[in-house]
Amino acid sequence: MLAPYLPIVLLFGLAFAFAFFSVAIAPFTGPRRYNKAKLEFYECGIEPTPQPQGPNRFPIKYFLTAMLFIVFDIEIIFLYPYAVANKALGLFGLVEIVIFIVTVFVAYAYVWRRGGLDWD
Amino acid sequence: MSAVISTAGELTNGQVPLGEAVAFWILGPVSLAGAIGMVLLRNAVHSALSLVATMMSLGMFYLIEQGPFLGLVQIIVYTGAIMILFLFVLMLIGRDASDSIVETLRGQRWAASLFGIGFALLVALSVGRAFKGSKPVNLNSATTNANGQNVNSIAALLFTKYLFAFELTSALLIIAAVGAMVLAHLERETPKRTQKEIARERIRSGRPQPLPGPGVLSSHDAIGTPALLPDGSIAPESVMASTPGVRELPALDNPDNIR
Amino acid sequence: MSAVLAASHAADVLPASSQNAHVLLASSQNVAGFGNQPLWIVLIKVLGVFVFLVVMTLFAIVFERKVVGRMQNRIGPNRVGPWGTLQSLADGMKLAFKEEVIPLLADKPVYFLAPILSAVPAFLAFSVIPFGPEVSIFGHRTPLQLTDLPVGVLVVFACSSLGVYGVVLSGWASGSTYPLLGSLRAAAQMISYEVAMGLSMVAVFLFSGTMSTSGIVAAQQHTWYVIPLFVSFAIYAISVVGETNRAPFDLAEAESELVGGFHTEYSSFKFAMFFLAEYINMVTVSALATTLFLGGWHAPWGVHAIWSGANSGWFPVIWFVVKIVAIIFVFVWLRGTLPRLRYDQFMHLGWKVLIPINLVWILAVTTIHVLRDRGWPAWKATAIPLALVLLLVVVPALMMLEGAAARRAADRDDEDEADARLTPTFPTPPMDLVVPSPKRLTTASVHPPTSAIAEGEDPDG
Repeated sequence: MLAPYLPIVLLFGLAFAFAFFSVAIAPFTGPRRYNKAKLEFYECGIEPTPQPQGPNRFPIKYFLTAMLFIVFDIEIIFLYPYAVANKALGLFGLVEIVIFIVTVFVAYAYVWRRGGLDWD
Repeated sequence: MSAVISTAGELTNGQVPLGEAVAFWILGPVSLAGAIGMVLLRNAVHSALSLVATMMSLGMFYLIEQGPFLGLVQIIVYTGAIMILFLFVLMLIGRDASDSIVETLRGQRWAASLFGIGFALLVALSVGRAFKGSKPVNLNSATTNANGQNVNSIAALLFTKYLFAFELTSALLIIAAVGAMVLAHLERETPKRTQKEIARERIRSGRPQPLPGPGVLSSHDAIGTPALLPDGSIAPESVMASTPGVRELPALDNPDNIR
Repeated sequence: MSAVLAASHAADVLPASSQNAHVLLASSQNVAGFGNQPLWIVLIKVLGVFVFLVVMTLFAIVFERKVVGRMQNRIGPNRVGPWGTLQSLADGMKLAFKEEVIPLLADKPVYFLAPILSAVPAFLAFSVIPFGPEVSIFGHRTPLQLTDLPVGVLVVFACSSLGVYGVVLSGWASGSTYPLLGSLRAAAQMISYEVAMGLSMVAVFLFSGTMSTSGIVAAQQHTWYVIPLFVSFAIYAISVVGETNRAPFDLAEAESELVGGFHTEYSSFKFAMFFLAEYINMVTVSALATTLFLGGWHAPWGVHAIWSGANSGWFPVIWFVVKIVAIIFVFVWLRGTLPRLRYDQFMHLGWKVLIPINLVWILAVTTIHVLRDRGWPAWKATAIPLALVLLLVVVPALMMLEGAAARRAADRDDEDEADARLTPTFPTPPMDLVVPSPKRLTTASVHPPTSAIAEGEDPDG
């Protein structure tokens, strides 16, 4: 019953072992020369500016993008089973899915019209 | 090993095939540890990552229970989409945001633990009762789910019996989009300036060239040091007015000092 | 088993003898042929996929540098190994012996985890890609594919959505400004283009009636889906370039503004992991494009007609790899040709162009498909949805575009008029400036004839 997943698990094991080994071995194969300036974070050579703390560091815009992504991701997930089984569902299924897509499109049009898709 | 897993026999009451048992005893602790870590870890991103581990394990549980579509959808939607949103929010509230351990309401911790335990008992009891006397069915041998028909079976149910719920989901998605807009979108009052407009304004302003840089490297290491123009006079535009230490600048109204 | 036959066209291409074998084996399988593989075959395949991906990465790096070099009239790497083919291997080995610098402010556990989270999903995505038909390995007949699920393509989709974690976490854990900005950009970019990618696959499932990769390849035995579904293919091709952060959509690592992007603070083998993941992802999306749209391991048209054995045995692996390399070549070609987009242009393309076109296309294709299933004649089933799309979508869109263009033109005219009235503040020559005729500057007067010098007249006195 789980046989189709066994190869995936084995490949996961191999890939994970490889990645973990590579990441873990790196400090031992390379040289180590301590230098305080090296441990600063990189800012093209100038003295690093301290990072601002607290909220409002990033445009809230990213939140909107992620939220819209979820909306569309869920729409896609519903479209897949329909696409696979559309022979059996026939004309009734077509009407259903058209209503579904158009409804989500309303949300999309609203966001577009309000300027939610404009990136400054 | 694969032979053991696949030929472990029909699922009968009380007897779990070896493959499933192994997977369960690995994934169960992982998902539990993730959930506990999510509550206990102080750093917000660490606790979000623990939740990812729990979500992944849940997805794999669905895979084991012969729901490949549901399992992968769990991974795609929950770990792929919702957790990314979660991480974004964590980044918005700041990198080092962590929980405060100061109790703001007196006795809150005790009350919360009490309610938590009570709720857990309630859930355990009701779930236990719901499953009492129910018989496990091997979904893979059932006619609706066998041989890769899982997606078709889901579609058949989703688009006929649960049609109303399905169409309601689209309404829910509209609400989600509108909510995100209301919370996170800042309406522009004026249209965004294009590159062309910015360039035009710059030419019209009378100063198309950039402001002179401060004279940091030429004479002094303070950022308030003004730059010198070729004739030796100073350029007052080269330092910001708010910079401390610009007070010793010569008076700006003296035409000799301004170029 | 009969359910499988009805569900997918997979069985159409399997020889009768192997079908019988499947019936015998098919006690508890999800997709035909992947139920009861002996462990040693599974191990061989796992190792094969792993080695294939690592070798493809090494190859793709050298290939890219060589091809881009030629496009820029350079030779590219030519020192290590014959024709420089071992350059990427040497670079990889070198990385292992480089010092690892971990910034002081880094969040150590997540900093270690991020490269692993980046590399592992990249490998896993390849587990459902079919390399070829059923072959014989040491006398055991088995499909040339690690495994398959009834929802095979979703495995790739899930892996690509998990790949975002490596990017986000590496930028966050570095505790540095540029990587954080780069990772946020990269994540927003990847999730935006994942939508377009996910939507472009809907039409493929519609045609094939299955989400299993082997089923999709089998369904393309006669017609590759790139022909009926060219719009989907184009959208898929564009969106995977954004999904893999490749030029011209490599804004996440825009060198001129963000240094290296999310992996700026990574060095040594940890950096190598990100590099590996990027190239494996490129190979994976190429392989998925091959599987979904370009007929998978099927031989190109014509080859099969000349040589009937082209689609059996181990030969299909050749077609599969050739198709992947061709797609990688296009990736490199894009990098060699196109300049990087601005971020707002990029998001505009993803959200305002690809998604609406995709949705309308899906609606049209679905309608055509359902109408044809119901026995409508092909021309009628195609013409009516197309007419509807034209009437309801294309015409209003064109009218809106035209209106916007007219408004812009009017604005421009207004601006030009305003500009003409404006007195220039920047020192400009007067509009009625008369340029004196440059008599003194004729060649004759500046350079005295050579004969004059020859006569011994010293111009300087």
